[in-house]
Amino acid sequence: MTAQPGSTPVVPRPAVGAAPPWAFPLPSNDGHLDNGLRVAAYDVPGQYVISVSIVVPLLLSDEPRDVEGVASLMSQLLDEGTERHDSEKFAALLERHGIALSAGVNDGALMVDVDVPVRHLETALALLADALAIPAFPDDEVRRLRSARLAEIEQERASAPHRAARELIATLWAPYERASRPTAGAASIVAQITRAHVAEFHAERVGPIGGSLVVAGTLSGIDLFAMLDRTLGRWHAPRHAQPSPPAAPDLAVDAARVVLVDRPGSVQSELAIGWRGPDRRVATGWAPYPVIGFLLGGSPGARIDAVLREEKGYTYGIRTGFRPRRAGGLLLTSGSVRADATAESLEILAEILDPANVSFSDDELRSGVDFIAGTAPGRFATAGAIGDEAASLLMDRLPLDFTTRTREATLALTTSDLDVAYSAIAPPHWCVVVVGDASLYADRVRELGIGDVSVVAN
Amino acid sequence: MPLDYPIHDHTLANGLRVVVSPDHTVPVVTVNLWVGVGSRHEAPGRTGFAHLFEHLMFQGSRSVAGGEHFAALMAQGGRLNATTWFDRTNYFETVPIGALELALWLEADRHGHLLAAVTQENLDNQRDVVKEEKRQRYDNQPYGNALVDVYAATFPDGHPYHHPTIGSMADLDAAGLDDVHAFYRRHYAPDNTVLTLVGDVDVDSALDLVERYFGGLDHRARPDGKRSAQLPPVEGPVRVDRFDDVPNDRLHLAFRLPAEGSDDYLAASLALDCVAGLTSSAMVTRLVRREQVATSIGAHAMGFVDGSSLGLVVADIAAGHDADRVEEEIAAELTRFAESGPAPELVEAVRAQAERGWLSALASGEERADLISQYTLLHDDPQYINTALDRILAIDASQVHRAAREWLRPQHRVCVAYLSRDADAEGAAA
Repeated sequence: MTAQPGSTPVVPRPAVGAAPPWAFPLPSNDGHLDNGLRVAAYDVPGQYVISVSIVVPLLLSDEPRDVEGVASLMSQLLDEGTERHDSEKFAALLERHGIALSAGVNDGALMVDVDVPVRHLETALALLADALAIPAFPDDEVRRLRSARLAEIEQERASAPHRAARELIATLWAPYERASRPTAGAASIVAQITRAHVAEFHAERVGPIGGSLVVAGTLSGIDLFAMLDRTLGRWHAPRHAQPSPPAAPDLAVDAARVVLVDRPGSVQSELAIGWRGPDRRVATGWAPYPVIGFLLGGSPGARIDAVLREEKGYTYGIRTGFRPRRAGGLLLTSGSVRADATAESLEILAEILDPANVSFSDDELRSGVDFIAGTAPGRFATAGAIGDEAASLLMDRLPLDFTTRTREATLALTTSDLDVAYSAIAPPHWCVVVVGDASLYADRVRELGIGDVSVVAN
Repeated sequence: MPLDYPIHDHTLANGLRVVVSPDHTVPVVTVNLWVGVGSRHEAPGRTGFAHLFEHLMFQGSRSVAGGEHFAALMAQGGRLNATTWFDRTNYFETVPIGALELALWLEADRHGHLLAAVTQENLDNQRDVVKEEKRQRYDNQPYGNALVDVYAATFPDGHPYHHPTIGSMADLDAAGLDDVHAFYRRHYAPDNTVLTLVGDVDVDSALDLVERYFGGLDHRARPDGKRSAQLPPVEGPVRVDRFDDVPNDRLHLAFRLPAEGSDDYLAASLALDCVAGLTSSAMVTRLVRREQVATSIGAHAMGFVDGSSLGLVVADIAAGHDADRVEEEIAAELTRFAESGPAPELVEAVRAQAERGWLSALASGEERADLISQYTLLHDDPQYINTALDRILAIDASQVHRAAREWLRPQHRVCVAYLSRDADAEGAAA
């Protein structure tokens, strides 16, 4: 090695100072409007864009089977015209006041998020109230967004990660479970959804009772509750029914198998390796799971990328994480590898993820705990991040100090807590999906003995 | 709203520009470095090098083992990464305040003493990782190479923005350790770097720490500050067709724009938002909402500093409609806008959206630090985060109109069309 230009003396490596105590903020104001809507307000000085989130609990499994996808389509249509303003006028009003509105559903809730500069907050709340309470669902817009969903389904089929995710849920969960089918619906069903379906679902499933509103940002000098009484406080939904009790989805009886989605000519293989995971109310505590995800597949130095990326160069990165649902959840390892390294990568992954081989060291425990606990103050520094976290807690019916208490529990974890938590979840054989050119590796994957192998078309 | 984020601008004797912006709301600090090297500085036959180099910066340096940079900071609760773009490479971490010194020490070691640790083995490994990155993000992705086609068709051969940051894999294969050494010496040095600290620090002690860890770096890059002359609009139109396995036809209409840093760039960027960037833009209202010949249309500007920026309008064609016809309709809307200019409500909407966009970007210390580094390194303007909004809001309708007339007429477009190879294939979405 040649000498470096300007070879300066080595400055000794500095020590690291202790982190000050930290807690996720509690709401500066926490109450209910007269219509039943819970309000959690966080005054976050210096955050000039206010983050507003509405959470309406609903279960996708409450969708009628013959119109699955109606919840998602309904959410997309909320800001496409109301009884007061047609769709073009409504869009123009949002844009002229600097308002960004987005809406969507997941397995347990309708979520509507609004970002708005503080001076337009009341206008935003008024438009949000109209979108929730008196959406018009114009026929033209129903047709347009239904077509957009059909186009999106084709886009998802063309995208390897989306295609893998779709096959994974179809293979992992029992066929009678809503969780086994796409949140926004499949083509043959979406094409049948009409305005009447959308309006009916909205009337029955969207209302203020049981719902929550989170407002985060610079709120000093604002009489928020007075503003809310004039806007979202007027939201009433006389036919609104509360959702059924949530239940964790059942696994398919043959979930532990390998499905190869065949895409001839593919230069990479997209892998998705999943199993049933916990939700955040798990009796033994949520704290170990984010740490385990980080240690297995959360960084270039994690167990998986240390081998597949940094040693072998087969991938740009593979991630492992727990995805909690309202009830139950998913443990997912995913990413793409070089096509001709597919079978070897699967073999390495099966070995790394095998619960019989997973026993975490003290050093791993320390690094994982310090990462998860130490990143919290920076991760929750903005109004948007605080609002999102609070909304997700309210969606899952968790207390608003859950984040702080979970962080404290994280700091107290032992290696055996991690080992016990992982072995309680991880199976000997996984549900494995590969999207790629099956002709390159189907035979070798069969020889791995990681499960029965079937090949399906893209 | 006047913004007044504190900005303290200081240059060390070795040329390192240091900007400190205290923010005591949370006990963390962001360390953000911009190095004045990106794909536009790459020599012919060595494309992709700035990006490959960014990967090597995580593989160890004089006192730091391979992978240790990530591991050591993550173990302290740090979040970190790096990215490469046309005009620059950035490196950044947000750490609990107690780990600030460690972060500075690690950064100084790799920004000052990388070559002691670069080996053929880690060069080979990271070249493989970059190839997988290219396959994942470009080759195995529908429309993944569309922007590569846009750059090549919009900027002439040999122009700094003609090739993408990912570069050519053949060029990467041809690169050896001697290239790594030469590249590092040429570009990585305190006088070609801006270091920004945003977070729970005091200015004086922060500057003392930076001096302690970076003050000893004495290598010089002597950056070449030359900028190319502004490129005129494309005299076209130009059309590039790609027949591919794509779920629907998609048009990418590209325009040269004024280089970033001028009011002309801001005006052109607002004009682009007016034309196709809003839901209430006339083009979107007519083609997406009323006629439904496109499922979506969007637009945005990419600011570059060396003689041109890039404006993009992207349209997804609705099933059963003809991409050529939609391109004509888009062209007609461009002409209409260039002739009549924006309605006052549209300018109001574009400004309101820009305001929220800026305030949202400045909400997090990470992004604030990145913007400070950007405008300090590329525009010598560390105060820009405080003044940008006033500058944007001062652009009036006549400036927007003029920018559209000059830059966004249909004859100035480059259209890269990704067309479904099997146009009448049934979407067998079982």
